[in-house]
Amino acid sequence: MTKTSLQKLLFAIMLVMLLALAACGGDDNESGDTDSDNDSTTEESEANEDGLFSIDDFSNIKSNEGEAIEGGSFTYGLVSDTAFEGTLNWNFYSGNPDAEVITWFDEALLTWDENYVYTNDGAATYEADGNTFTFTIRDNVNWHDGEPVTAEDWLFAHEVIGHPDYDGPRYGTDFTNIEGMEEYHAGEADTISGIEVVDEKTLKITYKEVTPSLVTGSIWTYPLAKHIFEDIPVADMSSSDAVRKNPIGFGPFKVETIVPGESVTYTKNEDYWRGEPKLDSVTLKVINPTVVVNELETGGVDTVSSFPVDQYPDNSDLSNVEFLGNVDRAFTYMGFKLGKWDGDAGKVVPDPNAKMANKNLRQAMWHAVDNSAVADNFYHGLRWNATTLIPPSHPEFHDESNPGREYDVDKANELLDEAGYVDTNDDGFREDPDGEELVINFASMSGGDTAEPIAQYYIQSWENVGLKVELVDGRLMEFNTFYDRVEADDPEIDIYQGAWGVGIDIDPRGLWGETAAYNYTRWTSEENESLLADGVSEEAFEVEYRQEVYKEWQELMVEEVPAFPTLYRSVVVPVNNRVHNYAIGDGTGIYLHELAVTQEEPIVAE
Amino acid sequence: MENKNEIEQVEKSPSGFSIIWREIVRDKLALVSLIFLILITVFVYGVSIILDQDEIVTVDLFSIHEPPGEEFWLGTDYGGRDIFGQLIIGTRNSLSIGILVTLMTGIIGVVFGLVSGYFGGHIDNIMMRILDFFLILPFLMIVIVFVAIVPKYSIWTFSLIMTAFLWMGIARLIRSKALQEKELDYVQASKTLGSSNFKIMFTQVLPNITSLIIVTMTLNLAANIGLESGLSFLGFGFPESTPSLGTLLSYARNPQTLEYRWWIWVPASVLILLLMLSIRNVGEALKRATDARQRRG
Repeated sequence: MTKTSLQKLLFAIMLVMLLALAACGGDDNESGDTDSDNDSTTEESEANEDGLFSIDDFSNIKSNEGEAIEGGSFTYGLVSDTAFEGTLNWNFYSGNPDAEVITWFDEALLTWDENYVYTNDGAATYEADGNTFTFTIRDNVNWHDGEPVTAEDWLFAHEVIGHPDYDGPRYGTDFTNIEGMEEYHAGEADTISGIEVVDEKTLKITYKEVTPSLVTGSIWTYPLAKHIFEDIPVADMSSSDAVRKNPIGFGPFKVETIVPGESVTYTKNEDYWRGEPKLDSVTLKVINPTVVVNELETGGVDTVSSFPVDQYPDNSDLSNVEFLGNVDRAFTYMGFKLGKWDGDAGKVVPDPNAKMANKNLRQAMWHAVDNSAVADNFYHGLRWNATTLIPPSHPEFHDESNPGREYDVDKANELLDEAGYVDTNDDGFREDPDGEELVINFASMSGGDTAEPIAQYYIQSWENVGLKVELVDGRLMEFNTFYDRVEADDPEIDIYQGAWGVGIDIDPRGLWGETAAYNYTRWTSEENESLLADGVSEEAFEVEYRQEVYKEWQELMVEEVPAFPTLYRSVVVPVNNRVHNYAIGDGTGIYLHELAVTQEEPIVAE
Repeated sequence: MENKNEIEQVEKSPSGFSIIWREIVRDKLALVSLIFLILITVFVYGVSIILDQDEIVTVDLFSIHEPPGEEFWLGTDYGGRDIFGQLIIGTRNSLSIGILVTLMTGIIGVVFGLVSGYFGGHIDNIMMRILDFFLILPFLMIVIVFVAIVPKYSIWTFSLIMTAFLWMGIARLIRSKALQEKELDYVQASKTLGSSNFKIMFTQVLPNITSLIIVTMTLNLAANIGLESGLSFLGFGFPESTPSLGTLLSYARNPQTLEYRWWIWVPASVLILLLMLSIRNVGEALKRATDARQRRG
């Protein structure tokens, strides 16, 4: 999980979606039979009378019109202001643009379903026996150069990432959870005692702790081709030609040429384990966000990695594309600064004397804002009022019945009066209970076209209930400055508006736990800690138990309001009409090798 | 006796201002430009007294992207804010900055150049090296950094930042003129009579180069307005809560606005164009007025 701006966030989300394309799993409710034409479920969304769109009207699977041709090529637009870095291996990359590039030629051994739980439909299968997992790689899974993908390769990936010289970002709790990994990392052991190669295609890994998180994304499922990398010192691997110039994988397409930072061409991998891909070649090129619509109109690209939601209403009737839509695994939230980060102890220290420490004040600030109006007017319904801190992208755990805190100015005023925030000097603004002037400093990011009016709107809303809120420094902050200052607990900041992408595992400890550096609110409590711990305990393998725990946790957060969610988001992706078998989201059962086109050239808008 | 007096009164050489006036009246384009400038300035400053800036920049969720109509003469932007109001306040802010920067750079430049040129020698040498130092600083980059680190900035601070890097041109010009001027007989005469350097510089040399100052400053005004708009367009000027012509223009960076919502950025663009052209036209007329060979009147 990472902090993220809208654009980076969309990249992140798209990455997982594309992964899921290569993944498999149960049929999505909406998907129906993907081989036949299913126009009825995939009509493009029309705005209703209020000019609002609803994500429910979108399908996440492309409808197939006409007959697909043999071969053909496909152009993918990687939407970015900057060039992609070019670290093209799952084990070393760090930027999301790179991940978009890798997705086409390499994939994970395990796949997951729409609830993000590992399935047995991928290139490898798994079996759990207590703390030991046994993985079996399918016989026909081979690297692009013909060598088989072996258990050795999988072990090798673990050895490289756990190596003290490893310079990538992967080594973390997912790895230290493996028996013997820490000893290996410290140089005390030559091998990782918890990983055992049984035979060429079978691997056994023993974990220290088995939690529901483990099977939702905490197993490292990307092998590293040992026959290529074994002679390269670990420290040099990420800059080697095998990563930068001639990357290798076992996905549906092979890398043909790379123009660094600009484009990549792929040809089909005839030996792909799921079957020969239908397309002959794929081209990926970087396009600037401002030209996305033009590129789509002229058929310059078939689809793009992300599409700015605010450009949708003006372009919803583009004749040559179909818009796919899905609920985003991210939400926007308003956080209150309630403590400090203790770097030495590695945990948050709530401060009961913080300016925002009064619970009523925080609740009132939530009641004071009308997020539905923001969503409808700025995003035309493609974002909507958020209620709890678990977004609806995780339908199993998002508590539909919890209404959050509704827009209610009277309630807000009442709460503030009750807590002693009253206007004592008749300047139109409330003073704090001690009669001191109360000025709340609000930090918000620039970027995204509507950032400024939205921030202004929130300030006006709070002014309506008598709270004086000012932008820190009187203006929006640039993305990096914003997170630097929020992370450093800048005393100038009392509240901040951030965005958060939820990982495929719902476990909220990454953002709200006591030991999470990303817990920017610096709030925690005993109850919070115990609920979060329960959510990943042994019993939580029982989905109902886990649901119950997270339901309680969502209630706690609505009561305590260390932060409140403002908007849930959706992803909208246009796809050229000539494309067959394309989908976004997880567990759709559609894979990249099935991707096909109905004519040689993309259809151009009328 | 009476006759003698009459003879003395007859011909006085025309004053600088009447020459300028004659030149402008003779050049119809400059005259129209001047009238337009005066009207715009009076209108903008007049109306903005009545308008409330806070009200103009208040976000109204229910009137986003309204096209021009009865309620909003020039429509609204993506925050539901009235474009017409923003245009008035924006023009006022842009003009104010342009005028402030021009005046401040003018004062600093004239004093610096005059002192440097008048004294010459070592003083001139040292002062010119200081000026060279300022000249080689990358102006745009430093302004951008300043804007990023100064926590809150107003019209004044913004003007000061710009002034700090824009006074050199005029200072150089004035210095070269002062170098010529100080060799003239009247300066020598005044010195012989014991006038102080200060008095010679500011009451005798300065009036003789006024025309040059006026012309340069007029042309600078257009450049400074352009510079402010440019910086705001790039996002390094004012935040949107303080509209200027540049912030209105910068809305056009969004392809949707550029293509579908002309009313947001076209008025500001046209206004910038007209303002700069008019100032230039007037400036050119002034320039001719200061040079007898080019005069039309």
